Amino acid sequence: MAPTLVNVAVGVLLGLALLGAAFDRRSILVVALAAAAPDLDAVASLAIEGATNALFHTLLLPGVAFVGLYWDTCYRERSWLGERYGWYGVRVAWVALAAYVVAGIGVDLFRPDGVNLLYPLHDRFYAVVGTFLLSSQDGIYLTFVERGEGLLWLTSPGTTADHHVASWVNPTPGTGLETGVERELHLVRTGWQLIVVSAATVALAVRLWEER
Amino acid sequence: MPSTVVHAGFAILLAAGLLKGAFDRRALAILLVIVVLPEADTLVGPWMDGAHRALLHNLTIPIVAGVWLTWDTYLRGPDRSWLRGRWGDWGVRVAWVALFVHLFAHVLLDWAHLEGINVFYPIYDRFFRLEGELLVSSSEGFVQTFVEIQTDPETGERTTDAGAVGTTADTHVANPVELSDEPEPDDPILLPIAESGWQLYLALTGLFVLVARRFQDRREE
Repeated sequence: MAPTLVNVAVGVLLGLALLGAAFDRRSILVVALAAAAPDLDAVASLAIEGATNALFHTLLLPGVAFVGLYWDTCYRERSWLGERYGWYGVRVAWVALAAYVVAGIGVDLFRPDGVNLLYPLHDRFYAVVGTFLLSSQDGIYLTFVERGEGLLWLTSPGTTADHHVASWVNPTPGTGLETGVERELHLVRTGWQLIVVSAATVALAVRLWEER
Repeated sequence: MPSTVVHAGFAILLAAGLLKGAFDRRALAILLVIVVLPEADTLVGPWMDGAHRALLHNLTIPIVAGVWLTWDTYLRGPDRSWLRGRWGDWGVRVAWVALFVHLFAHVLLDWAHLEGINVFYPIYDRFFRLEGELLVSSSEGFVQTFVEIQTDPETGERTTDAGAVGTTADTHVANPVELSDEPEPDDPILLPIAESGWQLYLALTGLFVLVARRFQDRREE
């Protein structure tokens, strides 16, 4: 699991980029929370075996939200969301959905721990890891795509039964709240994550300062 | 270097959030040039040892540019600003965003990659690399390993490790022009697009923002 702070930072950057005229303190908070929300499945993993990076990291949840949002805002004659919150509400809802998928799930998908993309329909973790380079001797060298035993052509670290994603809530495999184990809450794991977090902080500060 | 595609992806994500009304094709084209330009120091590599990640990858240039921009756009008064007089508010906005993008999406991102960047070149010739983590642990409390300060138990001498690597004389950062310190004629040319998952992620996120912004513009027409 990538640090939630990094999910939030990418979510804030997406919010700044896509909210447009709907940007204010309230909307950016909603988008940041949407980016952090998938990580709550670490709490659920205390009760459900292997739920971390699976239960709320599945694409089915945002998929249903997408269908509902599309039906309400584009298909119906009178949108419920539009009547209640106006243009502002529609924009914030779409950007929050994008932040959930791209910043909340996406950041974790591109790490070795992987994400259970289609849980619970198809229980398998997938990770987009590898290298993509062009070489004058070997041509295209691409290891992101890999034909494995899974449904998708991606590296798979396992299923909920045999792959546990460690988090500070549930550091060891299995369910139940343990006591006396070492817990580590990562804020930033590597150098590039620190740069992304600082860029998001500075950009948000600038935009909020301009908004006064 | 993380490839230009990665820099460009992160740059678009940052720029789309900061350009506001100035977000148009012309501004994006300028930013793309700003993102690619620092890699020109690889071309000087064959004539000058350790030029890549030193000549154009440092904090000296952004600091000087930032001081000049502040002077021209704030301190001089709005009527006398050269930038505003020539390109108006659009130019001022794009210039500031270009500085931000150059700093965060290029120089600082490279600081966390391979041998890092020569931070204060040419004033102080030393490469630094950003490496470490930040965590709260139940046994050790708050831990950060980006800057490590150690005290020698015998002499009581304090040493600080901020990731210093070497100088231009003994450091070479691999790049497509020169793969190693002393390149052989039959070395392959390696052009990395994405070396790991997170690099591919940043590149794709930039693409996503571009596509999403186009959708938004279409709906508003």
